[in-house]
Amino acid sequence: MFKRTLCVAGLTGALMAGTAMPASAISIMYADWLASLVEPGIANFEEATGETVDAIKLPGQGYDQRIALDLAAGTAADVVQMDSFMVSELASAGYLAPLDEMASEWDQYQYYQEGLLDVASYDGNVYGLPTDTDVRMLWYDKSNFEKAGIEMPWEPKTWDDVLDAAQKLKDAGVTYAFQLPAGTKQGEAATMQGFYMALLGADTPEDDRNRLLNRETGQWIGNSPALRRTLELYDTVYNEMELTPSDLNYATDIGAAVREAMANDEIGILASGSWEDACLWDCNGVNLPSREERDALVGWTPWPGSGEEGAKETTNISGGWTIGVNANASDQDLAFQLVTAIFDEENFKSWTLANHRMAVRTDISESPEYMEDSYLAAATKLAADTTGRDTVPGYQTVSALVQQATGDVADGAPVDEVLQDYHDALVDEFGEENVITYE
Amino acid sequence: MRHQGNPWLTSNLFVLGIGILPALLMIGVLLYFTAWAFAFSFTDLALVGRKSVEWSWVGFDNFERLFTRRGFLESLWTTIYFVFFSAIVGQSLLGFILAASLRGMRGTLRTMIEVSIMLGWLVPDIVAAFLWSATTSDTGLINALIVVPLGFQPVNFINDYALAVVTIANIWKGTAWSYILFSAALDSISRELIEAAKVDGATMWQRVSLVILPIIRPHIATNMLFITIWTFTYFPLIFAMTGGGPGRQTETLAIFLYNQSFSRGNLGFGSAISVAMLLIVGGLSLIYLRMLREPT
Repeated sequence: MFKRTLCVAGLTGALMAGTAMPASAISIMYADWLASLVEPGIANFEEATGETVDAIKLPGQGYDQRIALDLAAGTAADVVQMDSFMVSELASAGYLAPLDEMASEWDQYQYYQEGLLDVASYDGNVYGLPTDTDVRMLWYDKSNFEKAGIEMPWEPKTWDDVLDAAQKLKDAGVTYAFQLPAGTKQGEAATMQGFYMALLGADTPEDDRNRLLNRETGQWIGNSPALRRTLELYDTVYNEMELTPSDLNYATDIGAAVREAMANDEIGILASGSWEDACLWDCNGVNLPSREERDALVGWTPWPGSGEEGAKETTNISGGWTIGVNANASDQDLAFQLVTAIFDEENFKSWTLANHRMAVRTDISESPEYMEDSYLAAATKLAADTTGRDTVPGYQTVSALVQQATGDVADGAPVDEVLQDYHDALVDEFGEENVITYE
Repeated sequence: MRHQGNPWLTSNLFVLGIGILPALLMIGVLLYFTAWAFAFSFTDLALVGRKSVEWSWVGFDNFERLFTRRGFLESLWTTIYFVFFSAIVGQSLLGFILAASLRGMRGTLRTMIEVSIMLGWLVPDIVAAFLWSATTSDTGLINALIVVPLGFQPVNFINDYALAVVTIANIWKGTAWSYILFSAALDSISRELIEAAKVDGATMWQRVSLVILPIIRPHIATNMLFITIWTFTYFPLIFAMTGGGPGRQTETLAIFLYNQSFSRGNLGFGSAISVAMLLIVGGLSLIYLRMLREPT
């Protein structure tokens, strides 16, 4: 009997031992589109330290939610890539390790631009090192513009100019005449590429009337002429003029669907950002057409303002991604060593140049190769008049509400009703005293 | 008769303890998560930010919001539509009709039909979502094969009829379960019984309604119980196909819960939604369980 019992206990133990995985020294989570930066960095780190890295590559769609959930649940990797707007939220919850002390001993830290480190900071500490920054613009398909008889280079001055062009494209048979991101499925992309770009040009910047947050008082704006005009623009595009159907906003793989539609000349105007110079073909820069070929296929123009009195003539908002260290990392110093291997000048510079990303470090942005790149030089001009998101705790919630509002309006809900829902939801989340209304 | 357990097992408490441990652990985990969701439905717990660590009790605020704010009731209606048409009417009725029609059939045709039904079940949700999206887009298979050759303008089905498309996709995906269950149930009815009903002059409708359906009533209830629970909380196919859109047209409760909890980051409100879902599914399950009882 004893032997049998021992046998059962032994088998149980063997089963449990068999299920245990060999532990890696360090782990990292990153989006698939950043693989060409992260993976050579991992290889260099492994070679230099002899340690093994558990690399967890995740799809870009739903990435923000996955990272937030894993960090909250305590199951995130030691090193995490995250959208810069999330840094303050994650840091305020205590999920991230401050990097200042570790970074001060790294000789390349001095090259990071101060303003971009601020975006990845909370309460005076830096919690993430930026991978790149960006600007936003309206991309257009040159063959469709030619078909619709629109003069190029296209230089719209107001929203009406954009809508006129989109109407001509629609008349010429272009399915997605103006692809303006809306709805909840693409997450932050709907807020940044579409809504915030329009909002910034919808009213005067005075008192932050053209923003989601009054940055001086720290109050969220629950209703304003700018919010109304921006949602009315969505109503015009999706309902009144029917310039595009909604399906690309809800596709199974939105990025792939947009690229396919662009390649098939089904899109006229696409509201997106500077990364599209590579991402319209491949975000990791594989088999990109030559500069001349790309320029022959697509063009871009700055987002114009609405044309309202006092509103900005062109608008821009910049975001970007960061890499930080989990506060629960078993060895934070080793984790930061992996971060520095990824951002080591040789690796970082070649990725930035190959993918036409906007540099975040002066040693790269002031290099001759970067300065000679005609696309980057033109895009960098837009960055001269850009702004950042309202990266304070609560932004993620507000951004989700904005996405819902754009989706509702695009689906035909009245603007008044959607604005009221938005206002009420802000009050629910932040309290009456933290929500204001502009007349 | 008193049930006799395995004498070696019942006499060895150590082995019995080890054997029962996983079951106790599983029950404990289930109870823990249910209690967790119930408790946090009365808080303003957030996924990130200060409220993720410094949450506070908010009483019934979250439950009040279910009825005073746009979202929950709309999603509940969408879910009821989705469950009724895709599971109860679609999968269950189609599964029964197929099982009854193929009952006497043998050979290649039956095999082909069964393989087709099973394929829907076996294909992973994400693959199915890609297939259906590609099939129902304005340049998809339906337009290319049917609509355009007939001289009509292409229809963007996934955009214009999103809820109908995801409902049909789910019927295709889940009919196999009902078919298998009803096939087994119908096989258990003796041919003599059906023949006797025929001899007594029962019409086909009378044979189905007065003989077959009462016999397989427990199977119907079991099927309903499972497919209702599965479909009510079903997420991957519909999320991958539409993400709940356009607008909120296909936002079932499972997707509404996901959006509120993980996109908006409001875990307290998300917990209240999950408690409401638990109560609704629990109520429906009780109805089905009553159906399972033998008639007195």
